[in-house]
Amino acid sequence: MSNFYSTPRSEANRKSKNSYFAVICLLVCGLVVMTLVVLLASIFFTGGNWLSWDFLFANHLEDNPEESGIWQAIVGSVAMCFLCGVCALPIGIGTAIFLEEFQPRNSLLRSLHWLVQLNITNLAGVPSIVYGILGVTAFVYMFSYFPSITPNDPPTYEIGANYRYQMKTLGGDFVNFPCPDKTDKEFRINESIEAVDSRGNSFTLNVVESRSAAPKNDPVLLDQTVVKGKRPSKYAVKSFFYFHLPFGKTVLAAGLTLGLVILPIIIIASQEALRAVPASLREAALGMGATRWESVREVVLPAATPGFMTGAILAMSRAVGEAAPVLAVMGGVLVTTNGLTNLMAKTPVLPVTIYKWAGDENVGFEHLAAAAIIVLLVLLLVMNSVAILIRSRYEKMLG
Amino acid sequence: MATKSERDFENALLRNYELKSSLWGKISEAMVMTSLVACGVFSLAITVGIIVLLASQSIGFFNNADLAIDPFTFLTDTRWTIGQTQGTPRYGILPLVSGTFRITGIAMVISLPIGLICAIYLSEYATPRVRSILKPTLEILAGIPTVVLGFFAIKFITPYLLQPIGDFKTFNAASAGIAVGILCLPLVTSLAEDALRAVPDSLREGAYGLGSTRLEVTLKVVVPAALSGIISAFLLALSRAIGETMVVALAAGSTPTFTADPRGPSQTMTGFIVETFQSESLEPDSIGYYSMYAVAAVLFVFTFTITLIGQLIRMRYQEVYS
Repeated sequence: MSNFYSTPRSEANRKSKNSYFAVICLLVCGLVVMTLVVLLASIFFTGGNWLSWDFLFANHLEDNPEESGIWQAIVGSVAMCFLCGVCALPIGIGTAIFLEEFQPRNSLLRSLHWLVQLNITNLAGVPSIVYGILGVTAFVYMFSYFPSITPNDPPTYEIGANYRYQMKTLGGDFVNFPCPDKTDKEFRINESIEAVDSRGNSFTLNVVESRSAAPKNDPVLLDQTVVKGKRPSKYAVKSFFYFHLPFGKTVLAAGLTLGLVILPIIIIASQEALRAVPASLREAALGMGATRWESVREVVLPAATPGFMTGAILAMSRAVGEAAPVLAVMGGVLVTTNGLTNLMAKTPVLPVTIYKWAGDENVGFEHLAAAAIIVLLVLLLVMNSVAILIRSRYEKMLG
Repeated sequence: MATKSERDFENALLRNYELKSSLWGKISEAMVMTSLVACGVFSLAITVGIIVLLASQSIGFFNNADLAIDPFTFLTDTRWTIGQTQGTPRYGILPLVSGTFRITGIAMVISLPIGLICAIYLSEYATPRVRSILKPTLEILAGIPTVVLGFFAIKFITPYLLQPIGDFKTFNAASAGIAVGILCLPLVTSLAEDALRAVPDSLREGAYGLGSTRLEVTLKVVVPAALSGIISAFLLALSRAIGETMVVALAAGSTPTFTADPRGPSQTMTGFIVETFQSESLEPDSIGYYSMYAVAAVLFVFTFTITLIGQLIRMRYQEVYS
């Protein structure tokens, strides 16, 4: 076969070029698949043996990879993920409804509409570390509007903290009593005061002038006696709703920062969910006399909810793996003494733990980092499976 | 027999009542509209907040009397010695910028051709079976957290791929670049594939009808028709690579160097910011604190410009088929 333009020879040449290209494509794609296989295999071989229940439920120990674990990091990651989802979801869905369902008629709102739409793509392209810097300034220090938090002074604006003094008596018992002024650094015990001993009994603290005046023969009274002029140490009992301004380097600040990071993702996903709702549903609602908001509330939102959920889960799974903003806001926390008891606590999270362990000079932590990666990947896999499950049921419903 | 509501409705029509929204309906509509606009404005406020913050704090860096540094020196000096105690400190951002572009360059060399070839293959060549393997692979790759790729770079790419073939340091630009390339690959592929798929079949069929081979259809018809989408995919990957943090923080080391050698350590702009945050001595109003903002401002200008150019290309040159 030949035609006016191509001789048989050049046609064979063209066809062989085509098949060469197909082979090259296949090889390149094979390379991509192999990259993923090698990546997963290398992680599994490094960390697989170190996975155990003890590893899951223990916490980080300095210089002791054998007994370290990631329980606090798992709790921290899950809490942070919920926190940023709760913050970003309403704003994200609201923005998506504004962009998709309300085509404004006046020119001011229309230009706002255009600007917001343009801005979403730009926000999605901002590096997460820049969000981290924004989070540090806006949430951790709050533009230095409030007095900043230092380790030795209690925050000026706080609720949910109960300050108490603690001191050791001559008998060796530890007693505590309420602190009337949390900012007082010069407080000394001068007169007897109502106190609670280490067994929880309240009694009146006995104050003596000097050590020699102590009732040495009475061990019970000795346990309740202190020397006058001694300085007790101050501590705070923090309730679960403990809260202060500025937020400081806390889980709340980190969660809000992650909320900023995933906001554009949630907006884009919610816009797609709204676009997937057939126009006929809206038209039917409007035709029956519903206002725009009524049609959105009663018809569009219920139909788009599974799409919102899918988008939210995917965005949250992005947040779970995000290390840079958390590192910027909270610093490289590996373990805390009390765990996550309130929103003003610090907490380790999985990606930061992996980062710190991977950079540790102790070789054992390299294996732990790989084991923690396996846990993180399993967590992401679960979240993504849930999202895919919701999406597949959703497609059946609307299709 | 008509029901009561039907009679009411007829009466309303007969008496020519106006069927209009109640006052409460109007109020609630206005309230909802306001809160939705507020949501939209919030997303704008984030961008404005970032710009104002970076600008004002960078001005603080340049106005610092102890430093006596002007923006020109900052942008052209080839030494960056913040954090070092000896000698006169030098604040030239070029080493950090060169580190960023060394790693980004390697990443682009890897991810752009491979990503484009994968996209072409997926959109034009692949059988359903190959597709069913390749597509999930790319999706999994896209979902892997960046810190995991950083771990892969430092524990696998450097010791097992690079050090056998040359004199690579423990921390080097090449391994970070390769890992960032792996990171950008799924992004390039999925965006470019979308662009290629948006080309209507009639164009392909026309080319086939003229006797083209599949390769000719792809390279001479489909790719040119989807070029704006492909370029914006490339630009998005570029801005992603410039802003990537955790991979470079783990694998590229913390020595700012002004060279083109990929074998040595190289600190990037993002790497410097992370390192500054981690140092215990970071306090508001210190030099390190302000320099971080100045570096972040430069980083933001890069990524913002690239994203904006990508958007403009897509809006300006997108071929609309209907």
